[in-house]
Amino acid sequence: MLKKLPVILIFTSLLVAGFSGCGRSSGPEKGQMAVVISTLNNPWFVVLGESAAAKARELGYSAVIYDSQNNSAREAEHFDNIIAMGYDAILFNPTDADGSVLNVSRAKEAGIPTFCMDREINSRDAAVTQLLSDNFTGCVKLGQYFVQEMNKQGTYVEILGLVGDNNTWNRSRGFHSVVDEFPGFRMVAQQSADFDRNRAMEVMESMLQANPDIDAVFAGNDAMALGAYQAILAAGKTDQIKVFGFDGSDDALNSIAAGRLTATVMQFPVMMAEMSAVLADEYINGRTDFDSRTPVEVVLVTSDNVSEFLD
Amino acid sequence: MDIKTLKVNLLKFQSIIALLIMVIILSLLTDRFLTTENSWNIMRQISVNLIVSVGMTLVILTAGIDLSVGSVLALCGAITAGLLKFGAGFADANIYIGFTLFGAITGGILAGSLLGWFNGLVITRFRVPPFVATLAMLTIARGLTMLWTGGFPITGFEGNMAFIGTGWLLGIPMPVWIAAAVVAGAVVLTKKKPLGRHIYAVGGNEKAAALSGLNVRRIKIIVYTIAGALAAVGGIIVTSRLDSAQPNAGMGLELDSIAAVVIGGTSLSGGKGSIMGTVQGALIIGVLNNGLVLLNVSPFWQQVVKGVVILLAVVIEKFNSRSE
Repeated sequence: MLKKLPVILIFTSLLVAGFSGCGRSSGPEKGQMAVVISTLNNPWFVVLGESAAAKARELGYSAVIYDSQNNSAREAEHFDNIIAMGYDAILFNPTDADGSVLNVSRAKEAGIPTFCMDREINSRDAAVTQLLSDNFTGCVKLGQYFVQEMNKQGTYVEILGLVGDNNTWNRSRGFHSVVDEFPGFRMVAQQSADFDRNRAMEVMESMLQANPDIDAVFAGNDAMALGAYQAILAAGKTDQIKVFGFDGSDDALNSIAAGRLTATVMQFPVMMAEMSAVLADEYINGRTDFDSRTPVEVVLVTSDNVSEFLD
Repeated sequence: MDIKTLKVNLLKFQSIIALLIMVIILSLLTDRFLTTENSWNIMRQISVNLIVSVGMTLVILTAGIDLSVGSVLALCGAITAGLLKFGAGFADANIYIGFTLFGAITGGILAGSLLGWFNGLVITRFRVPPFVATLAMLTIARGLTMLWTGGFPITGFEGNMAFIGTGWLLGIPMPVWIAAAVVAGAVVLTKKKPLGRHIYAVGGNEKAAALSGLNVRRIKIIVYTIAGALAAVGGIIVTSRLDSAQPNAGMGLELDSIAAVVIGGTSLSGGKGSIMGTVQGALIIGVLNNGLVLLNVSPFWQQVVKGVVILLAVVIEKFNSRSE
């Protein structure tokens, strides 16, 4: 028993620390909101989570951010804790369109409303509403600009994100819904780089070997577009190949301003996150008329309008 | 030479034979594969995995494992990037230190060595199994990377930083030079130096090694420190090639690295294997990755093919060791 004393001491101190941490959050606030984010390993989601929490605090709630680490099981544990602690609302960025539905339904049964951000769940009534960037429409706009920039013809390659992700395919379909209408275009390769900059660079290096004469690259997010650009730069083909991305990350905006990337689609994670906190506040105050989806605007960014988005 | 010795000899060169078969098949399927440019391409692409895998080989030779290499790579790349771009400042004390390229690289490698040393310390002093200790470090180092970068990439470096990853020297890409130097150093270490023999001895039979007077703890701490330092070198190259330190760099790298070591014929139970085997393993993975993209194989199938190749390599290795 004595041998185990240090371990027990550590555990108790951790528990005490944990409880005192919770104690701090219950104060004179209007209530508490939980912000559950699929992963904080990606700057985009960091912005999403922190903006949601900041807006909730501004509206007079306490807010805690939970990181699901792209793991549905961890997400379920967070929901267990949130339900047990009786939060007033959940601002939720799901890990998985199907795997997260049950969590949201459980929260609903426990009387806690959930507001989905950015990634959708395949259920129309579990969440109060889903705030979604219109990936499909965004890539339709990008596709139209692509057609115009390329004078309706050329060969190109596509770099897909995670092949198991909804957004990957919504973006790809939106793009192809426009570009495939023009017989002058030929896609000579379609490969995945998991939304990862380094992987995109390596995939692009290999694709350039197989297809040295392409005119353009369409990448499913900005990180991959920038990785592809590094490969094109190393191959000395920046004048020949135009690069198109999606997201509107700071790096990409600077690259468009510098003439390295041709275009991207700007999403507004801050607006989306803040809107979810506002809607949650309205729900708590008695509003009931929510649509199952709340679309959030996306904007095409090119060299013409990039200056509006740079600080 | 009778059939039996022929068979043994064939098995001895299994990785090279597998590699040759792949090269022949790929060059028949596409004329873009066997070009000088694409060959350098593959060599440059495998450099990072190879450098990390050399450290992994040493660790696995002692019957250990290092799952933290991907996170350590990300953290050290980010540390080098941060020091180079922003320097180190202590607002309270009003101190600001700027770093030269050399200083920033040294800082990154020192950080990697320190994390590796800590892995070794936890494993030897507190008798935590390597799998668990380095699994913990995988999370810790990834968390530290997030803290250091705030979750955002550090992008855009002045001066010669880009040369490390994208430059050429005497007609050979810089990452390949660095990988070659690391491999040469490790081959000398394992073949010629007493420490190399001791590493094999510890992995072969730890008790016997300890009884014969070897300082097992010291040897283990050294190999984990080397593994950490080499992960840092990999991180610096990745950062340089991308002109950006990505907070999520190196995710899943531990699996690529273990795959290279295992395909190269090094036994996960320790004491058996070689650095040159790992070079072949890394080449096989690199050729496969490159070839599947050149042929525009569907991303769904690529994962299946890669898994099957790893499985085949290990099955052949087992068969090989049984017939000896």
